[in-house]
Amino acid sequence: MYDLPWLLAPPDDFNERCAQLKYHKTPADEVHALAKYALSINQSNRLYQAIRKLNANTRSLLAHTLTPFKLGIVSNATMDLMIPSFVMAAIRNGVDLELITTDFGQVAQEAFDPDSKLNQSKPDAVLVALDYRAYPFFGDQSVASVQITPSEKALNYLQQIRESFKQKGGMICIVQTLACPPYEFSGNFDVQLDGILRKSLTEFNRALVDDIKNSPDVLLDVAAIVNMVGACHWFDDRQWYLSRVPMANTYVPLYAEYLTKLIAALRGKSKKCLVLDLDNTLWGGVIGDDGLEGIQIGQGHPVGESFLAVQQWAKTLKDLGVLLAVCSKNDKDIASEAFQRHSGMLLKKNDFAVFVANWEDKASNIRYIAETLNIGLDAIVFVDDNPAEREIIRTMLPEISVPELPKDPSQFLRILCAARYFEKIDFTDDDAQRNAQYSSNVRRQEIQKSAASLDDYLVSLEMHISFAPFDEFGRKRIVQLINKTNQFNLTTRRYTEAEVLQFENNEQSVTLQVHLQDKFGDNGMISVLICKVYKDRWEIETWLMSCRVIKRRVEDAVCDELVARARKSGVSRLRGFYRPTEKNGLVKEHYRRLGFECVGSSDTEDVWDLVVDRYQIKNPPIKVTKSSVTA
Amino acid sequence: MSQDKAVTLDQLELIFQDTFTENTYAFSVNTTRDDIEEWDSLSHIRLLTAIEANFGVQFDLDEIGNMTDVATIVNLLHEKLV
Repeated sequence: MYDLPWLLAPPDDFNERCAQLKYHKTPADEVHALAKYALSINQSNRLYQAIRKLNANTRSLLAHTLTPFKLGIVSNATMDLMIPSFVMAAIRNGVDLELITTDFGQVAQEAFDPDSKLNQSKPDAVLVALDYRAYPFFGDQSVASVQITPSEKALNYLQQIRESFKQKGGMICIVQTLACPPYEFSGNFDVQLDGILRKSLTEFNRALVDDIKNSPDVLLDVAAIVNMVGACHWFDDRQWYLSRVPMANTYVPLYAEYLTKLIAALRGKSKKCLVLDLDNTLWGGVIGDDGLEGIQIGQGHPVGESFLAVQQWAKTLKDLGVLLAVCSKNDKDIASEAFQRHSGMLLKKNDFAVFVANWEDKASNIRYIAETLNIGLDAIVFVDDNPAEREIIRTMLPEISVPELPKDPSQFLRILCAARYFEKIDFTDDDAQRNAQYSSNVRRQEIQKSAASLDDYLVSLEMHISFAPFDEFGRKRIVQLINKTNQFNLTTRRYTEAEVLQFENNEQSVTLQVHLQDKFGDNGMISVLICKVYKDRWEIETWLMSCRVIKRRVEDAVCDELVARARKSGVSRLRGFYRPTEKNGLVKEHYRRLGFECVGSSDTEDVWDLVVDRYQIKNPPIKVTKSSVTA
Repeated sequence: MSQDKAVTLDQLELIFQDTFTENTYAFSVNTTRDDIEEWDSLSHIRLLTAIEANFGVQFDLDEIGNMTDVATIVNLLHEKLV
């Protein structure tokens, strides 16, 4: 997997294209195109240098297409070699990564000194890139205390570092599990022997996972990566002894890809929807030609079992909150029949939020799927065994991720898994219910067609709304919404869990989390507001809403609530902001619709004011079950 | 120079072009670390990785320390590849 086989290999003229970058008509697009290939460390370095040679204006154009993230790094090893690979992998995953590196081995100094480089520069997160060599696992066991095991000692050290970065710099940490090197002392018994590395590392990793669960920090599971590729391949002792490089260089691109996938997930950029072709992607053969009995799917046949494994993967993703869709060149009835009647089929037709089987071109069909589900094209992964279809989608819809697949279907699963499109940083109730919510949405749309007017329709939904300030129960979902919502998002400010916690505890902030229920089910938390308190006014720094509940006058109910709360606090004015992005045109006139007045406008920001006493209450057909005003 | 070494030298030139982004030196069997400004300890690791991957060989610690000019690299590769 070191060569990232789900990505296309770089073309023969890669070096030439890097050299020509500064003369390119649209250099930002060209950088995106080049970064998408499976780059070696040399190729990453070449593109990295070429980008550095672009003028400041062009570089800021490029940055504008990406989400910024500032990452500090501490390590017991040399990380310098990896930097170009980190930055290129970040671009591939939609992130403009600014790195703050520290000198090799300066972990404790950086963490504990309040004036250290990292504590002063306050990046968005600190990568604590430590491997087993950073910890005292090889201490003299004869003098070791019986009270404290090596793994406890190591865990304490790491906890102090995490806590210190949190307290002195307000940063979250990206913390690594420890891969076990291929060292043995007593063979099978190592895992049972106190003080022996394998047992210590096993204990450490288990305890770390438990510890991380209750903290805002996130885990980079290096042990899992090494488990996938093999310790004899990952660890290269020559490189460690010669230059303190922590893993074989050939694995730097893989490590960089997984690190930046995690960072992208922290910024809500994980994929949301898996769009699948049918023939030779979900089963072997062509249903239209081979018929129901002719296709291969299910137990008892090597090809059928290969495709069954892919279906199992998709089904599990669905349970984790990924939306599934079909996009296939097929007769719709024949394709549907395969799901209904073939006994080997694990996926059922109602596992898919959208099912498109026709003879139109796939690019149009995928656009239709994105519109129906109200998600961006960049949230979609499209899996197709046919290289020509893959190429068309890559060209027509470059925002979409299209994994390369080999001819042999028995290899599909491991490549799709290794691509890690659906990186998660938490698992909320909303994830568990997402597919049900989307299929309820389809039913809601059906009612809408039959209802006489929009208001009749809204009344018939029997909506119930509840409001509360931020609290620990909602925190994870609040962070998720803040980092994922693109369309109904007035300012697109992203915050980490640590920052959200600060709003929760700060008297200078007024916060709202909004839940919505209707007769089709619980929509969960669908809107989040953060206001900054000034003497005479509240400034609405964040107002966002999930796209699922757009056009249901939920924002009217929210505004009524916010104004009521402002009145009660004796605040006379509300100020809102609209900061345009590529995706939030939907809410450009949001404040005007609510009765705010535009008091300032520039390319980057419109400012809107509302005199609370002049507000006309909206009273939409939504029943308030819990208000934050009376609380 | 034998036929084999010439082939190795051609392949090596491509690897050097891949590893070093600046084209400010003339590649030949006589090229040394002093001729290439970019050839520092970090790019040395990238060079090493690229050569090992290209030829499917592995150098030992002593060899890595001695690989400071093209002639030595060609000789080492020749030893390993016959």
